[in-house]
Amino acid sequence: MPLDVLLVLVIGGISGIALLLHLSGRSKLLYMTAEDARAAWHRHVPDDLIQEVTVASNGHAALVTTQQGMGLVWAFGADSVARPLHDFDLLDTKDGLRIAFHDFSAPEAHLKLTEAERDIWRSRLRPQ
Amino acid sequence: MTPNYPDVVQWAVPVFTAAILIEFLWIALKKRGGRYETRDAVTSLIMGAGNVAAGLILGFIAWGFFSVLWHITPLDLGHSVWVIVLCFVLDDLRYYWVHRFGHRIRWVWASHVNHHSSQHYNLTTALRQTWTGTFTFMMVVRAPLILLGFHPAMVLFCGGLNLIYQFWIHTEAINRLPRWFEAVMNTPSHHRAHHGRNPRYLDCNYAGVFIIWDKMFGTFVPEQRDDAVDYGLVHNIGTFNPLRVAFHEWVGIWKDVSQPGLSLRQRLAYAFAPPGYSHDGSRETSASIKAKHLARHPEDAGTPGFASGARR
Repeated sequence: MPLDVLLVLVIGGISGIALLLHLSGRSKLLYMTAEDARAAWHRHVPDDLIQEVTVASNGHAALVTTQQGMGLVWAFGADSVARPLHDFDLLDTKDGLRIAFHDFSAPEAHLKLTEAERDIWRSRLRPQ
Repeated sequence: MTPNYPDVVQWAVPVFTAAILIEFLWIALKKRGGRYETRDAVTSLIMGAGNVAAGLILGFIAWGFFSVLWHITPLDLGHSVWVIVLCFVLDDLRYYWVHRFGHRIRWVWASHVNHHSSQHYNLTTALRQTWTGTFTFMMVVRAPLILLGFHPAMVLFCGGLNLIYQFWIHTEAINRLPRWFEAVMNTPSHHRAHHGRNPRYLDCNYAGVFIIWDKMFGTFVPEQRDDAVDYGLVHNIGTFNPLRVAFHEWVGIWKDVSQPGLSLRQRLAYAFAPPGYSHDGSRETSASIKAKHLARHPEDAGTPGFASGARR
């Protein structure tokens, strides 16, 4: 197949499918209740004993306190990702916080938080 | 003279696009049979495009290797239909072992991991292919075929057909096919199990086209109705960036191998032992994940995926 035809097919195909998915509502972020966040954490770390779950008011992230330490579970598209919170930087953003993990496979999590939430989360997340 | 075999994967691109649209419309209209998410799908599609580009850029390395083998072998089986059919079957056996190595040797897993990095399972997942396959040197597993007299162009043609076959099995829209077909061929059901991160489904169903290889070599686990497949990685990645998807395990290997205070044996194990190896036992391998699962759920002992305890 000529390279220019292949390029048109690939770029056109990807763009068209992306547009179709977005316009049909497939870009929504996962919404979590406390129970969902608990299940999401156990999905990633089945053996942890969860002591407390604090879900952000927008439902897209949760702080999970376990006997093994604190962790974050956050919406990743329609699914979730979880990471323990023991090696990260915490940065303020205009609408919340950004957690920069030192992890090439999960570089950061953007947390949209209210002003009140941000203060609470910041105090709990402050790296030791 | 090099015979003229078409690059079937490139010619299949329009078919891939049409099939994705059909699957999506089916899911949207029937409200079952799978899930789509925009960024996940776009990432998968870009990985597929990058795989084709990597083949165009780096394909000369494998081709050069195969050409040398073809030059030195005294055998030439020709190009009859039966030789092509035999080549396809033997290349599928080759695929089984490359795929098995891809899950059991971290160096090869670093290339293959991106195919498993989506938490979705739809036809775009099929296209989430590696950019770094050349660096695994798994082209050596094709050497016996060429030394036996199968022309390199024929071997690559059969490999392309194998890849195309595997496209359609990446779907939840097809439940189970007739029993005779499920017994011989790799199917959506068998391959869904392969993509599972559930302890039961780790390291199973490596087949490309014929599921008989898994049955022969003891790695077959049928999809269980009471253990729904949870797609993705044991430790799911948190990025849609194609560069991070393509290279994250290579970066992980480098960080592990280059940490101070390790013996040479430990450094080599971080690169070539099964994924999850750690010198201090702080990480989980598929064997330890299965063992821990059985400790929590002893009732699962002896069921598929746990057939011989935790050491499958």
